[in-house]
Amino acid sequence: VHRVRFFGLVPAGVRCLAYQARGARLALARTDGAVEIYNFGANYFQEKVIPGHETRSVEALCWAAGDRLFGAGLSGDIVEYDLARLSVSHSVDGCGGPIWSMEANRSGTQLAIGCEDGSVKLFQVVPDGIQFERNLDRRKGRILCLSWHPSGSHIVAGSINIFRVLDVSSGLTVQTVMVNCRVQKVKRECVVWSIAFLSSGTVITSDSFGRVQFWDWEKGTVQESYTVSTSAALSMAVSESEDSLIVGTSSGTTHQLQLLPVKMDSQEKRWVRTKPFQYHTHDVRAVAHSPTALISGGLDAQLVIRPLMEKVNKKNYDVALRKFTFPHRRLVSCARKARLLLFQFSQHLELWRLGSTEETGKDGEVLPLCRMPEHLVQLKSKGPEHISCSCVSPCGSWIAYSTASRFHLCRVQCEGNTISVKKV
Amino acid sequence: VSSSSRYLLCASGDFVKVYSVATEETLQLMGGHADRVTGIQLNPHNHMQLYSSSLDGSIKLWDFMDGIAIKTFTVGSKLMALYAPPDFEDSVFVVTPKSADRDPFQLVSVKLTKAAGQDVEAKELSVVLSGVNASPKCIAFGREGKYVASVKQFELCVYFFKNKLAQRFSLRPSKANGGSNHFTCVTCHPMEDCIATGHADGKIRVWYANFHHRKDYTYSTLHWHHDTVMDLAYSVEGTYLLSGGVEAVLVVWPNESDCQRDFLPRLGSPIEHISMSADGSQCCTLHTDNRITIISSNLRFSKSIQGLIKSSNIKTGLVVDPRTKALVLNGEPGHLQFYCLQTDQQLFSLDIVQRTYIHQAGLHQTDLVKVAFGAQGKWLATVEEREEVADPELQLKLWYYNEETQSFKLNTRINTPHEDHITDMCFREMDELEDDSLILVTTGKDCVFKVWLMVENTDPEAQQRVSWSCDFVGSYHNYQATNCCFSEDGSLLAVSFEETVTVWDSVTWDLKCTFCCPPGKIRNICFGRLTCSKYLIGATDYGFLCCWNLLSCALEWSAHLNILVLQPDPLSEYIAAVSWLPTGSSLFVFKPNEAQPVYIQRNFCKQKIQLAAFVPRDEPEMVSSEKYLWLRRSQLFFLTKTQELMTLSAKSLEERLTPASKQLAVEESLPVTPFSLLLGKHRRRPSQENTDLGNRVVQNKHEQESPAVRELLHTPAHVLPSASFLCSMFINSLLISKENKSAEEVADEVEMESEQAEDDSDEEGGVTEMEQDDPSPVESLGELPCKLTKSQERELRKIRKVDYSWIAAF
Repeated sequence: VHRVRFFGLVPAGVRCLAYQARGARLALARTDGAVEIYNFGANYFQEKVIPGHETRSVEALCWAAGDRLFGAGLSGDIVEYDLARLSVSHSVDGCGGPIWSMEANRSGTQLAIGCEDGSVKLFQVVPDGIQFERNLDRRKGRILCLSWHPSGSHIVAGSINIFRVLDVSSGLTVQTVMVNCRVQKVKRECVVWSIAFLSSGTVITSDSFGRVQFWDWEKGTVQESYTVSTSAALSMAVSESEDSLIVGTSSGTTHQLQLLPVKMDSQEKRWVRTKPFQYHTHDVRAVAHSPTALISGGLDAQLVIRPLMEKVNKKNYDVALRKFTFPHRRLVSCARKARLLLFQFSQHLELWRLGSTEETGKDGEVLPLCRMPEHLVQLKSKGPEHISCSCVSPCGSWIAYSTASRFHLCRVQCEGNTISVKKV
Repeated sequence: VSSSSRYLLCASGDFVKVYSVATEETLQLMGGHADRVTGIQLNPHNHMQLYSSSLDGSIKLWDFMDGIAIKTFTVGSKLMALYAPPDFEDSVFVVTPKSADRDPFQLVSVKLTKAAGQDVEAKELSVVLSGVNASPKCIAFGREGKYVASVKQFELCVYFFKNKLAQRFSLRPSKANGGSNHFTCVTCHPMEDCIATGHADGKIRVWYANFHHRKDYTYSTLHWHHDTVMDLAYSVEGTYLLSGGVEAVLVVWPNESDCQRDFLPRLGSPIEHISMSADGSQCCTLHTDNRITIISSNLRFSKSIQGLIKSSNIKTGLVVDPRTKALVLNGEPGHLQFYCLQTDQQLFSLDIVQRTYIHQAGLHQTDLVKVAFGAQGKWLATVEEREEVADPELQLKLWYYNEETQSFKLNTRINTPHEDHITDMCFREMDELEDDSLILVTTGKDCVFKVWLMVENTDPEAQQRVSWSCDFVGSYHNYQATNCCFSEDGSLLAVSFEETVTVWDSVTWDLKCTFCCPPGKIRNICFGRLTCSKYLIGATDYGFLCCWNLLSCALEWSAHLNILVLQPDPLSEYIAAVSWLPTGSSLFVFKPNEAQPVYIQRNFCKQKIQLAAFVPRDEPEMVSSEKYLWLRRSQLFFLTKTQELMTLSAKSLEERLTPASKQLAVEESLPVTPFSLLLGKHRRRPSQENTDLGNRVVQNKHEQESPAVRELLHTPAHVLPSASFLCSMFINSLLISKENKSAEEVADEVEMESEQAEDDSDEEGGVTEMEQDDPSPVESLGELPCKLTKSQERELRKIRKVDYSWIAAF
């Protein structure tokens, strides 16, 4: 057994999550632009990975029109992913600068995007891509988050210090609410990091002061306010039944709030902060709420699925807490005969020779090395696309890797201390 | 706390005590139970009544205002706790032990029969829940009596009365962070379906409404306490939750979304119990050191009711303060408490150690170990040490009583007075009050005794005139010095060194003679007093009580007794000795000149007596029998291992209790009603009107002698005549009487009343006018000029009623 401690892979953090209720699938975007699809029905199997792209960062993901997955990012483009070919199928310019947020309406026919320039734009989902539909009322300040009313009549858009409610049919701003009130003296700006619109007309915001606030959008008043953290509440997701929500904070904690009846048989209900969890070491940038689990992803590259015990009927594998720390794909390939290891990074490959020893020992003993592991080759891929897979031949003289569009084959020749790589 | 938050009810031993919240006084001491009272609950259907349960197996219903037991319901088995939720018509709930079972306790509903008679047997019992915890804090009744929550170990059990179904929720035991997470207490929200539970690891879990579905429960966790949550209480409306624990901090958890929790720190000692008053204006906490703190609703410390403070270990012994006749012993950690025996109240607490006490297990704290008073309470010597096995940190402090501030002021601080633990300390008591004759002797385990003297400060800049310093160090064969004692005239000092008693001349510090009683070390020594001052008494480890004659230097007599406590009476020659055998403690009172005890009380206490003290009486008591003659001048008090203070009395219990139960402070117990406000106004008015001091005295007298009002208030309602009859009398009493009321007028008063009753319809206006007119002459002239007779007055009134409007026409 070799102890390989020289694979310095830095996994990319989780940037956003999108849960598709119907197919029980979760789309996850990482900070390097890679998109992963997990299938919850098949034991949380990582179904697909769309490798990242240097120029393409993903800020928002959403499922629309059935199984179609859309992403938008700071490049200003809205892209549709081809889940069969694991590549981008369409790309449309949003024409509003970097896109911070994107949300599909409940029926999946329209996409709303929030842009750097403060505009909210509507796009129609058509069979072969998307089509620009209209601009809604534009105000100053980037739109960091937005949410559709379940009926599709209104959109609420969160910005810095304020959030706005837009009427979809007229395109006008019908309500503007300041969120930084009630914070004494401190002249800090309050960033609305995440927003949700409930069918009852309640708007839920999570902001950089660590608060989760419930608003009556028509009156523009706070109904309830919970300070869940002293640091920012970065992300929030509401369950489809609208009785539970999860908040992720920049201190790595996630909190669950639940809408519970005040009395046993009464209609009166209240949001109650129920469970705090600490699974992450860094910012929790993205959360999602499935009917039976709380899903959170952080900058520490972990995806955590915490099942809700009370929603699960019987004890099975679904009840267990899941943490996805390691990449599911094979990033290391081994040349058995040549005692070589090939490590795959997002944009380059590394070829190492394993160390060797002449001594023998019993189980569990650590043997001293007579030759240290050796870094032989670093192979950089060209172009903005990230490497999707790589392989080394058993004899160690062939290296193959591919990106989304290209396949590369190299020959490695090892003569004494000099190593040469030749592109084939 | 009673519903009007005027009375505080507290179970104390076999009694139920009623305190006034306003004055902290004990109003009632209700005795009647034969064993410890385990639970008290206000009668939810009559807020002037109280249920109490006791280990003697009975529930009593009290009228706590008058201290009368109305009814006694006999249940039979021991009652560990009592609950009286308001939504059950005529039943209460008790926790009783199950006969021989794995789950030893059960919650039982007791139907209180309406049958006549004082003693009723409650037969209708039905078990609600079995396997409950015996602690009263582990069961709570929910909103409108719909359910009952009980916690035990790691399980919360909620029983619904409607469908008779019990839901059980269990926690996974965890030992993380040192503490186990088992349940310690439970309370239910008064308005919502919400249960709060406290845990041994300091967490509070709040369980929400859905707990009637086994599957769909949810809870949130509140965590501030670092150690066990001792008790929880919801406010009346359930808007906040109070919690307390060993940290001596009351924590307020707001139920509302965005409020921050609030704290009331420095409550002195661990919080054992929290109780809210029914109107929510007060909250009180019960502490482990036998103290009740009353906290107002804005979370401000308001009052504290404290008797004898229970400290972890009484090391100082029972000392009597010569000045106040108060018992002095360890109080709060590092404090000395002065406890008044007559009023059962703490006089004050003197901070000796002057360091912040940190509540943490296993931390060595500096504590007070020895106390001695000298020169009629003018000087106080204290020794404090830090429990360190190898090298104890010792400090001897001398305090001077400052007459101006009426408190002790630190005079001298001596670090490390001895190399090892100090075993005993005493002052030389002299009759003459010369300061320089005062001598302090300390004995230590470092085999020496030291004599400390007061010296004048030569340094002109020194703050104190005198200070203390060591004068003489004595030792005997390198034995540990264990006890010291001065003879009554102060000429001799006896110091015991393990098995030997040495007697020293207190002027020259020469060793005069030694006494020895071979088997066993000396435990206690004392000199005889008055006529017996030539005797020295000593008690040894192996059960010998010896009496030596100092003149002949020979053993006078000895007795075979395992003496634990030897206490001479300072005012007589009697000496009390308490012996201990496994069957119990026995008391022997003897005079040193007679080997035969004067008084023997065998096995008067099952527990080990730790300390005893003679407290001088203010005036000698009349003692009927010869047997109790030794109790004439002073009273003997004992402190047991469990810190119960006991006394011996020649009188029976009832005799002593009667005066206490008779005092019912009517004045302050008046509820604030419009009626009482009116009365208050009526009383206040005279003093406002009078600027003259002399007059005020007269007025005050008048206020006291308004008999109608007093009669009205003091007569029980059911014997009062009808209100219409009383009305005129009452109105009359409100009239301001003329200061120089003639004697015949007083006699005529009854007649006048009847007259007014006749024509009160037209008199009414006149009366009010009179009240308005009256003050002006008083103010202008200082004394009343008018000496009108009744007939003249009536004449005047008639004139006033005559219509003079025709004058206006001119």
